[in-house]
Amino acid sequence: MCVAHAALTAAEGGSKPTLRLASPRVIEGFLRMTPAERPLSPHLQIYKPQLTSVLSIANRGTGLALSIGAVFIVAWLAAAAWSGGAFALAQAFWGSLIGQLFLLGWSFSFYFHLLNGIRHLAWDSGFGLDLKTTYATGWSVVVLSLLLAVATFAAGLALRGGA
Amino acid sequence: MSRGAVRHWRAERISALALIPLTLWFVVSILSHLGADRAQIQGWLGRPIPALLAAALVIVTFYHSALGVRVVIEDYVHAPARLRALLSLNVVASWLLALLALGAIATLVVAG
Repeated sequence: MCVAHAALTAAEGGSKPTLRLASPRVIEGFLRMTPAERPLSPHLQIYKPQLTSVLSIANRGTGLALSIGAVFIVAWLAAAAWSGGAFALAQAFWGSLIGQLFLLGWSFSFYFHLLNGIRHLAWDSGFGLDLKTTYATGWSVVVLSLLLAVATFAAGLALRGGA
Repeated sequence: MSRGAVRHWRAERISALALIPLTLWFVVSILSHLGADRAQIQGWLGRPIPALLAAALVIVTFYHSALGVRVVIEDYVHAPARLRALLSLNVVASWLLALLALGAIATLVVAG
């Protein structure tokens, strides 16, 4: 569990309380139950998604996507080193519609994980931990990674067209 | 898994810092080699500086990836046997992929 995420989620809960105390009668009812009968405490699916928690899980998701992407890069390197046939196959894959969609998704994952990683490094150094700054940097990361992914993809298309 | 937690935390951040310049170099390099044939890729990665940077990128990428994937496995997999198996698989696969990539880069250097 990411410490910064836990702290921010707690801070957010504090400013916008979503749970109220149950009436004494309800509480007495709970106390008469055996532990197995008692209701579970609210879990993930009961909370409204917040930018902070969504970006936290997105950091993990994009990291996993990049790890899988690294496997493809190794395959491409191995093909370049050892097999002309495999290299031609790899180039054909990257040029195909599915290959291009993969590349677009990976470039977004790359920029998101890079920028959000820098955001994490800032938090680790004690900067930007208040809620207002966290939201500002969070939205900046989302918008910038989208823009950079599209810009990189457009640059790729232009360079390929020119080549 | 509390043992070595500080080391894990520090290693994740140091590798993250190293990956900022290395990955940006790689993205720019790939963009400038779009549509290149195998000989052109060999000519690029066969040279000492790009080969060295690519090797560094491979090592730090799989190090950082192994650290991150380990935490994901620890968070979501609870059955002890499966947890141990997946943690080992993560380490072995990261090593094998990194070594395969380093071997490929070395081959390109020798050929180029």
